[in-house]
Amino acid sequence: MTESGTVPRVRPQAARLGGVFEAVSAGLPYETATHEAMAPKEAIVNIRDFDLWYGATRALYRIALDVPRGEVTALIGPSGCGKSTLLRSVNRMNDLIATVRIEGDMRLDGESLYSAGVDVIELRKRIGMVFQKPNPFPMSIYENIAYPLRIDGVKDRKVLDEVVERSLRSAGLWDEVRDRLDASALRLSGGQQQRLCIGRAIAGNPGVLLLDEPCSALDPIATGRIEDLIQELKGQYTILMVTHNMQQAQRASDNTAFMYLGRLVEYGPTQDIFVGPRLKETEDYVTGRFG
Amino acid sequence: MLAAKPVPPVSTIRRSSLFARGESMVWMTGVSLALAIAMVVGLLAIVAVRGGATFWPQAVERLETVDGRAVMGELHDVDTYEPEAHVFDAIADDAQREAARARVAAAGGETARRFLRTGNRSPSQREGFHWVQDFEIVRSSEPEWALTIERREWGRFYGIPVAFAEGESRTATTPEDAWAAFVAHHEEALDSWIAAAELEEETVSPLDGKIEASRQLARGVENEYGSGSPEHQAALARHAQVEQVTRVERAAAAARVEDLRARGGRYALILETADGAEHAVRLVDIVRAYPANRLGWWQRLGVYAARWWEFLSADPREANSEGGVWPAIFGTVILTMLMTILVVPLGVLGALYLREYAKQGALVSMVRIAVNNLAGVPSIVFGVFGFGFFCYTIGAGIDEVFFAENLPNPTYGKGGILWAALTLALLTLPVVIVATEEALAAVPASMREGSYACGASKWQTIRRIVLPRAMPGVMTGMILAIARGAGEVAPIMLVGAAKMAPALPVDGSYPFVHPERSFMHLGFHIYDLGFQSPDAKAAEPMVFTTTLLLISLVVVLNLVAISIRGRLRRRFVDGQ
Repeated sequence: MTESGTVPRVRPQAARLGGVFEAVSAGLPYETATHEAMAPKEAIVNIRDFDLWYGATRALYRIALDVPRGEVTALIGPSGCGKSTLLRSVNRMNDLIATVRIEGDMRLDGESLYSAGVDVIELRKRIGMVFQKPNPFPMSIYENIAYPLRIDGVKDRKVLDEVVERSLRSAGLWDEVRDRLDASALRLSGGQQQRLCIGRAIAGNPGVLLLDEPCSALDPIATGRIEDLIQELKGQYTILMVTHNMQQAQRASDNTAFMYLGRLVEYGPTQDIFVGPRLKETEDYVTGRFG
Repeated sequence: MLAAKPVPPVSTIRRSSLFARGESMVWMTGVSLALAIAMVVGLLAIVAVRGGATFWPQAVERLETVDGRAVMGELHDVDTYEPEAHVFDAIADDAQREAARARVAAAGGETARRFLRTGNRSPSQREGFHWVQDFEIVRSSEPEWALTIERREWGRFYGIPVAFAEGESRTATTPEDAWAAFVAHHEEALDSWIAAAELEEETVSPLDGKIEASRQLARGVENEYGSGSPEHQAALARHAQVEQVTRVERAAAAARVEDLRARGGRYALILETADGAEHAVRLVDIVRAYPANRLGWWQRLGVYAARWWEFLSADPREANSEGGVWPAIFGTVILTMLMTILVVPLGVLGALYLREYAKQGALVSMVRIAVNNLAGVPSIVFGVFGFGFFCYTIGAGIDEVFFAENLPNPTYGKGGILWAALTLALLTLPVVIVATEEALAAVPASMREGSYACGASKWQTIRRIVLPRAMPGVMTGMILAIARGAGEVAPIMLVGAAKMAPALPVDGSYPFVHPERSFMHLGFHIYDLGFQSPDAKAAEPMVFTTTLLLISLVVVLNLVAISIRGRLRRRFVDGQ
């Protein structure tokens, strides 16, 4: 393989692997084009040969992905390519769907997530998640943030107060709501609600944050604030996010993984994926010629 | 070049059909709704007007007829009819009969007849109502001093006071003086009556209880050691001794009660009835009396309010056709609340399992269908089941274990408010389950996911997120259950509703709550008044009044539940 980035328009790899879509459609084997630049990064989540079925329908094929610690990794791809499914497999939200079956393994800090002895509830406390639509609970702002602690049985008001303030500050919401912590969270605007959900996700002090298209229901200004927030949170948290917005992936992420029909097609530093992708399919997608 | 297609002028566009435009459907749906509203409003209006008018004091009329008869009373009903020829035969005098016939003929063959509530019932005079034909009336008047008297027994009495009696002596001679004497002494007489009743309750009843307790003690020993055993003999001897001593005490207490009672009982009002006879009515037997034709508007309102108050707060009298319905109100409210307390947790837990835990499949679908069908089972079936299962199986079992010394008298092995509440809970269970299931299904999946993603367990998610959010829906189920349960009569007739049960299920005597007691219920009371009353005509207005009360009670219970639901909804759905 040649150095990435040095290849301008026509690439030998593209010629060799240009038939990925055809290969995928025909059920032939293919190879994920993982950039070498990913190799030296220390991974916090390792996904190995991960398969997933919804009943008889296969949704993920042999996914192999290492999520670097402390960085923002974006999952992109056309609708239905399995981005969200993959994301939801990391904190095992797919367990809630009775028909889901998986093969392969995922590891968080070297520990298997899918082995028999894993306590899913404890696992989810280590991996926070934010959803497409803001989903504040029907309770006060304070109780929303305190929820992860409440379910752990924390009753000490001082501890709760501290966590609520720290989480709201981290989520960039503190100054807006400090006077009305007892007001219902449902009264906040959409953007505020989403930041509240991020605050809730980090209140339990997880190592990894999963963001499932966190801005798809928000206006551009609110989206901008969330993207700023993502930049502030990275480093402290490892962020794995799904996005449909190419500009957002480009602006907010360090690494980008392109998925198609349940396969991970190309994975590398965001800069390389957008400026010098190995595969023609990736280039077509990120430039908007397809998808 | 292509010429643009010409647009046809609007006037030539074919008009769409009537059905397509939907005008006819608007009319049909509108008329259907109007009919439904008219029926509901009509029902409520009839109940409100007839029920509300019951207690309004009416004038007392005195009618004299051609045959020299005179009746006095309140007008209950008037109707117009065409009398047949033989009706006139009742008039003995030929000239008058012909005159009456001529009067009716002149009026087009129609005449009115008045249905007069004449009261004055007694063991020898059981009819309290009279029909009077208009054509036979020779004189009608409203005597100034005609009194309407509500007696403790035998219903109303209409008469003109002529004297007041204290013991053997008569003190007043004119209606005015007699009335004044009545007003002066009535309260005193009633007070002594009430004091006697209280003294009896305090002194005589406990002694009766003491004898009964001693008897039960002996019975317990008999059960334990066997009949005729030395222990039994000793217990019997102790019982006999206790009984003997207590009986003496009881006789003394009863004498004091009688003395007190006689003190109030010596006053009487002497009244002249329409036919000129004199009657003495003891003051202690009079609940309320008023000179109907002398009352001003405000005084009538006072009587009206006093009667309503008595209705709402007092025990029933006269086989329920007079007096109050307080025990029935209390019984209805307690029964409904007890039912709600039983059915809501059971229904919510059942729905939670069905919706949240059970694996959705053929079996769960069958259970769901069965639950829905349960709502369609005739309520009397639940009554029969409750009677057979709760009273005769569970209740009898409890009696054998805990109340053996009372046997063969049942304690729990008969109808009681607990069994009635359980029966109604079973009856309303499908309503709660269905409403709760729908409310659970309506909780957004995103909220559950949010909770799971925070590391909450299933139960934590249900308890902290799903249930609060579903609470308004649960309340809807509760409201429907109350509306259904509070009005049910058929099942509770079998499992504990009683015609007369002045001992309330909750009172001041140990252990304060008596779930085994029979109870009165407004719905059953209505049935009893309307169809079981010895004086059905006198009870008829009370049927409407009680119906009005029952409807109001159900409305109040519902309003309370609706306001709670509104608060929950604002908190958990709208987020205010």
